[in-house]
Amino acid sequence: MEKKYKSSYYGHVVKIALILIIGGVLAVWARGLFLPETMGQYGHYRGGDLEDQRNVEVRNHTNESCYECHRPIRLIHKAGVHKTVSCEVCHGPYADHIKDDKYVAKMPVKRNMEIKTLCLRCHNKIIRARPEESIKVVALPQHLEEKKVQVDHNCNQCHMVHDPLLWVKAAYEMMGMEMKGDKK
Amino acid sequence: MIDIKKEIQKDRRAFIKNVLSGTIAGSLLMVIPAGAALDERLPEELPGMRGDDSPFTKNKFAFIVDVTACIGCGSCCVADKNEYNVPDGNYRTWVERYIIDDHDEVFVDSPNGGLDGYTKPRADIPNPVRDTFFVPKLCNMCEKPSCVQVCPVGATYRTDDGFILIDKSRCVGCGYCIQACPYSVRFLNPISRTAEKCTWCYHRVRKGLLPACVSVCPVHARKFGDLNDKTSEVYKLLREPHVISVLKPEMGNQPALHYLGLRREVV
Repeated sequence: MEKKYKSSYYGHVVKIALILIIGGVLAVWARGLFLPETMGQYGHYRGGDLEDQRNVEVRNHTNESCYECHRPIRLIHKAGVHKTVSCEVCHGPYADHIKDDKYVAKMPVKRNMEIKTLCLRCHNKIIRARPEESIKVVALPQHLEEKKVQVDHNCNQCHMVHDPLLWVKAAYEMMGMEMKGDKK
Repeated sequence: MIDIKKEIQKDRRAFIKNVLSGTIAGSLLMVIPAGAALDERLPEELPGMRGDDSPFTKNKFAFIVDVTACIGCGSCCVADKNEYNVPDGNYRTWVERYIIDDHDEVFVDSPNGGLDGYTKPRADIPNPVRDTFFVPKLCNMCEKPSCVQVCPVGATYRTDDGFILIDKSRCVGCGYCIQACPYSVRFLNPISRTAEKCTWCYHRVRKGLLPACVSVCPVHARKFGDLNDKTSEVYKLLREPHVISVLKPEMGNQPALHYLGLRREVV
């Protein structure tokens, strides 16, 4: 008797199955459309990004790049105690100055009181966290008083910024004196 | 004319030699492209990186920051900002100043990320200062990075040679990785609206150059190198007896960034 109620109509099942299959195919197709080509090449990321990352522009060069043109500074800067200081930290990145081997823009140069700010950025004794093995620090205006110069003097009146001891050493030599606590 | 003729007569062989070498040199100059790729003219600071076009190098890179040498000049921060045009107020690397007073209270500050250097002492320390030092911070390049684990779109990943990078074109800017990073090195770039962080200058390293911050450091407080190269400075430092530590070891991220002479107060 039970058989009597069983329908032989399967249309609805077929419809659902068809929708699921078409939906599945569409989803796979759409996924392929939206996923980048190299996705999953090496892992769960876009493999092509490695190439993109490598092609990021190198904007900071080295001091040697600057010396290629700025010869006189090369001789002074390389011989002095500031030889480890990067040109680009004070003057801006190479890429802003030279593009495709062509000069594009003038680099900023610190003048007047900006120089004092720049020097004290590293050499200020009042910031006590600076290890003495790394850097010579001075206190202002005590340093000026100690050296018997006027307290409104700028740093670059005695110290050449690219080699701070160049003139000082020359002056000592002229006077036939030895420099006190000379490490270099 | 007579003089030239005389010269030729005197030493014909030398004259021909000079003319010939001049011609050859001149023609060579025209053949060799004058502007060799700019990157190739730069000195190779990391040996064996040039001409390696494979997706991953065989190297195991490590970064060491010497806290006992850092003078807090902020050169690294300046170079970093220049290299990537980092928007104001965001920092891929920064320098923190630690001040510990004699009551063992720790004060940390980092005005503008150390970008302008440290010009003023802190005036709000009530007790005499026991210890003070600078700690530069950057991406730790973890062996087990939390940021990669949480990224829902596969935008951040770890390369086989240990760099954690962010794919700008995949990143949707959800900020999940920024919260996941135990070292807070990530930020959302306000212009591109994607996550950004220090990459140890992947593009420079693959061209054989040191990271920008390493190459500008005037006191050589930042050191970068390959641990597979037994002659490298980082290899020697990590294998010789030194006080070496990593940040937040309890997080289990296993950073490849090591600190030399770090105090235990640093987090």
